[in-house]
Amino acid sequence: MTEHVVPNELAAELQQIITAVDGVTAVYPAQPLWQSIAGAAVSAVTGEAAPTVAVAASGDSLAVKARIGVGGPRPAPEVARAVAGAIRQHLSPRRCAVEVVVVQIGG
Amino acid sequence: MSASGDTLDCGHSLAELSEYLDTGRIGNPEHLAQCPECQSGLASLRRLSALGHDLLDADVTEAGSGSDDWMQAILGNLRLELRPGRSIPVRGDDPEDLLSETEGAVSALIESIADGLPGTAAGKCRLQGDVTEPGAPITVGVEIAVVFGHPLEERAAALRRELAETLARDTELNVTAIDVTITDVLEARQTPQEKP
Repeated sequence: MTEHVVPNELAAELQQIITAVDGVTAVYPAQPLWQSIAGAAVSAVTGEAAPTVAVAASGDSLAVKARIGVGGPRPAPEVARAVAGAIRQHLSPRRCAVEVVVVQIGG
Repeated sequence: MSASGDTLDCGHSLAELSEYLDTGRIGNPEHLAQCPECQSGLASLRRLSALGHDLLDADVTEAGSGSDDWMQAILGNLRLELRPGRSIPVRGDDPEDLLSETEGAVSALIESIADGLPGTAAGKCRLQGDVTEPGAPITVGVEIAVVFGHPLEERAAALRRELAETLARDTELNVTAIDVTITDVLEARQTPQEKP
């Protein structure tokens, strides 16, 4: 099975989609910390924001991972499901596996 | 404390003690109460953790000025990665979805509620039970300090009520009990007076 990282444009689109979901307060880097640091350093130099959502293509399907902060009156599990649904809808009709990790609640 | 590598003389490792601090779980908990090596190790790890958070807070504050937003973002993320804890599953609408909350996020939520009550300060917080298993019975243990003069039982009952509501709303944990322990009564802050 061949896996490759898809272009940043799609990850950036998904980041916007996730941020727009009611109850999402932040989108945190999905990659390990050292990759986040490298990406942030490059961003600081180039002025281009590094995508925080991880997207990988495998065959005809996509794997998406997002780490989010949630807040407000909407229950956190409902926000996580809404994020997964929004990602799935944006990528439709492509097959995808969506992983959403809530790393911050409230605050 | 004498140790070879990261293993104490009693056979426990610092990694096991660190995991105990994160999760409240260890193979033989009764041993901890009787072992000076482990107690010393736990105390050191707690001091180290507190120092790490203090330094991180200082760094985040420092980074909060000028054009260092990217550094602030990294440090803010680091705070969340320091202690993610276990993964708490959240039901998904699609079988291919993998949704979860980190134990660290839920613990921080509990601490913020305890800190938000007037006259209380949050201490340790534990989720006891297998939080990784949907529907498993979970006991929430939270320690608080209460400022002298505030009614202790009322504070504990209010915290228990608020935690029950919030955890039912923001998690899918099957919380079967909430144990609130008042570990300290704090002296109210006095107005500074001039020394003679």
